[in-house]
Amino acid sequence: MTIGAPAGAAQFMALSAVLFSLGLYGALSRKNAVMVLMSLELMANAVNLNLVALSRFVDPGAMTGQFFAVFSMVVSAAEIGLGLALVLAIYRQKKTVELEAMEELKG
Amino acid sequence: MAETVNGIAFFLLAFATIGGAVMMLSTRNVVHAAFWLLETMLATAGLYLLLDAEFLALVQVLVLFTIMLTLRRREDAVRPFEPGWGGMVLAALFGAAMLLAIQRGQLPAARMPEAVPTTVDFGRMLFTEWAVPFEIASLVLLVALVGAVWWSGGDRR
Amino acid sequence: MGYVALIPLLPALSFAILAPLPRTWRNRLVPLSVAAVSVSLALAIAAFIATWPGGHEAHPVTAFAATFAHLGAAELAFRLVVDPTGALMALVVTLVGVAVQVYSVGYMHREERIGWYYAVLSLFTAAMLTLVLADNFLQLYMAWEVMGLCSYLLIGFWHQQPGPRAASIKAFLTTRVGDVGFALGLLVMYATAGSFDFATVLHEHAWEPAAATAVALLLLFGAMGKSAQLPLHVWLPDAMAGPTPASALIHAATMVAAGVYLVGRAMPIFEASGTALTVTLVVGSLTALAGGLLAVVQHDVKKVLAYSTISQLGYMFVALGAGGFVAGMYHLVTHAFFKSLLFLGAGVIIHAAHTQDMREMGGLAKHMPVTTAAFGAGALALAGVPPFAGFFSKDEILTVLVHEHQYVALAAALAAAFVTAFYVARLFFRVFTGPPQTAGLKEAHAEMLAPMVVLAGITAVAGFFGPALGRFLGHEIPWPEPGVATLSVGVAAAGLAAGWWVYGRRTVVVNTRPLKERFGVLYTAFSLKLYFDLTYDNFVVKPYVRLAEWLARFDLGFIDGIVNGAARLWRALSGVGAWFDGRVVDGAVNGAAAAVVAGGERVRAVQVGRVQAYQALMFGAVVLVMVLLVVKGV
Repeated sequence: MTIGAPAGAAQFMALSAVLFSLGLYGALSRKNAVMVLMSLELMANAVNLNLVALSRFVDPGAMTGQFFAVFSMVVSAAEIGLGLALVLAIYRQKKTVELEAMEELKG
Repeated sequence: MAETVNGIAFFLLAFATIGGAVMMLSTRNVVHAAFWLLETMLATAGLYLLLDAEFLALVQVLVLFTIMLTLRRREDAVRPFEPGWGGMVLAALFGAAMLLAIQRGQLPAARMPEAVPTTVDFGRMLFTEWAVPFEIASLVLLVALVGAVWWSGGDRR
Repeated sequence: MGYVALIPLLPALSFAILAPLPRTWRNRLVPLSVAAVSVSLALAIAAFIATWPGGHEAHPVTAFAATFAHLGAAELAFRLVVDPTGALMALVVTLVGVAVQVYSVGYMHREERIGWYYAVLSLFTAAMLTLVLADNFLQLYMAWEVMGLCSYLLIGFWHQQPGPRAASIKAFLTTRVGDVGFALGLLVMYATAGSFDFATVLHEHAWEPAAATAVALLLLFGAMGKSAQLPLHVWLPDAMAGPTPASALIHAATMVAAGVYLVGRAMPIFEASGTALTVTLVVGSLTALAGGLLAVVQHDVKKVLAYSTISQLGYMFVALGAGGFVAGMYHLVTHAFFKSLLFLGAGVIIHAAHTQDMREMGGLAKHMPVTTAAFGAGALALAGVPPFAGFFSKDEILTVLVHEHQYVALAAALAAAFVTAFYVARLFFRVFTGPPQTAGLKEAHAEMLAPMVVLAGITAVAGFFGPALGRFLGHEIPWPEPGVATLSVGVAAAGLAAGWWVYGRRTVVVNTRPLKERFGVLYTAFSLKLYFDLTYDNFVVKPYVRLAEWLARFDLGFIDGIVNGAARLWRALSGVGAWFDGRVVDGAVNGAAAAVVAGGERVRAVQVGRVQAYQALMFGAVVLVMVLLVVKGV
């Protein structure tokens, strides 16, 4: 891909894939709950980007991808709000946001 | 000409997005990481503009503000870097597989179709065809709001 | 005419509201029931007025229709249809219903279960209205059975006492005997005509005499049970154990008239048969006469009226048997008014005198002028004295008999008229004249008097509307012919005079001795209710009880032996089973459980409890799948 050439669907999808992988790495490796939440946000972002891009290239009139992205954003906003609130609650109880502290469901 | 501008813009925004993500993951300060996340999301908003999704871009910015509002400075904000090799390997494998799939898949047109609906059409459709999901989404938000207030509320005990 | 659907619906609703409530709430909501039936009355008047102009020439109007079942290709429908007869009957039912419900507010106000009383009264009204607005025999039958249930419930209203309890069971079982006939008649009807609808069965289907006779006689049997005709009349006098206003509504004015209504509706089948008409005539004549004679020897005020009802219903059957549908319906309507009036009056009398035995009454006229006047109007109507309604309708029946040359029936009817006048005089003079035997007599409350006054007013003037009513129902009701009228008035006057001679002339307290001494054997026969009850008791009830006792012994000795033996055998087998269970089955189950526990202990290690571990597992699997897809080259 040369700089300045118009971007196609493949470029957007590749970007999205890279972004998603980075988010995945963060979500898997970080021990801080807040960081994990932010990584999840990154992944959601990648997905939204993919949706919008494919909608734009395949069927721009219907805008289905955009609508999906809007609702996905709503859900991720709800998720991040709730997630941070939960982290806060856990912090208040355990004085830590380390994920190792949250292993009460261990079998 | 416009297409070239488009291409350059994409390149810059892609760089900003990925760069922001990398910085977010590499910084040791959680607050800094949050700002890098904001940067990434801002860049994504730019990409939305590039894709003629103006409304989404605006929404993205608004979401960004909400995240900013929820962030707080904390004592343990600075942490040692955690490489997490296993996660890195898995993510790299995943990304490679995805890129391979994109390369080999039968993708739609490389060029952007011309016909582009406006934000007005978007709004009209959102309140007609998509009215029910829209209302459900508002309900989800409401519940999340109540839940967030409940969980983060002051000491009840 | 959609509002017609509300006529039966409103009382039904008030039942639906009252019935499930706790007692205190139910008692408080009594006005609701009165209001519902009052609105029904208003709507019934509206429907009647709307039907009036066309009269019998107008087509029946379907107010409501719903199919509730499919029977092969045929549909079983629930329909409310207004035609002249139905509109008239709905008017009568709601009018008497309102009168009785208003009256009951005063009469029943001390009852603990007044709410239940009103609920059942409402259900009854709804059922009766459904019956008269039906346009098919099946719906009529269903409403008929609901009415039977309400009658049972109301007769047994004081079910703590053995008398009402037994009476309610007797009424239910006796009418049930008739209803079996009705049901069989319906089956035969459907088998031959292929429908229950009035239009098909009565007008379109060409009846063969044999089939018509079978159907008609079976229907007549059902009607005889409901309308207390010989020999199924035994339940009605006992039914007087229920509350008096309920008797006025159910056992005088409406439900017992349903049999007459049924036969009247089914008239084309009876006419196609011919034989059935004769049977109806015979049954009616016998009942009219026997009921009147039995009324003479009763001492209980309500039982006199009950036998009188039986007799008057017999009159209606006589009219129907002679082919005089309109005459029968006419008498039904007038009888509904004056007999419910008499019953309401009897309620007041019983309240005042604290007894039902007329030998212990007397001199009520001085203390209760309004009741006396209203009761007197009803009594004169019953006796057939002009200008009261009963005279006109009775005269119409006699006229029909003359025209049809049924002279034997005519003689029976005249004899019945004489006896009727006689017992009316006896009742009236015994209760209202002579020396008072109870202290502290006083007039009843307004809510009890008002319905009586209204009914008395109707009784006084209804007779003059006969010709108009006849045109409405599609058959001429002429003004009384001088000859027949003279005869009937003469007979009534003679009866009244004889009654006065025996009971009213002397002011001293008399018991039944005058009659008893003169007609010893006959009197005994009558006071034993013509042996009907004894016969049933000896030939039906007692053998049945003996059979039941014998079966019970058989049960105890033989069946129980088998059952117990089987039980013992089974216990022995169970012992073996228990051993098998304990050793083999439990062993297997416990073994399986232990294996699962051991497996679980191993598997449990997978659950590390860390979100990220699960996430890694998930995405690892995704990567594996993708690698697989790439290798396979999809």
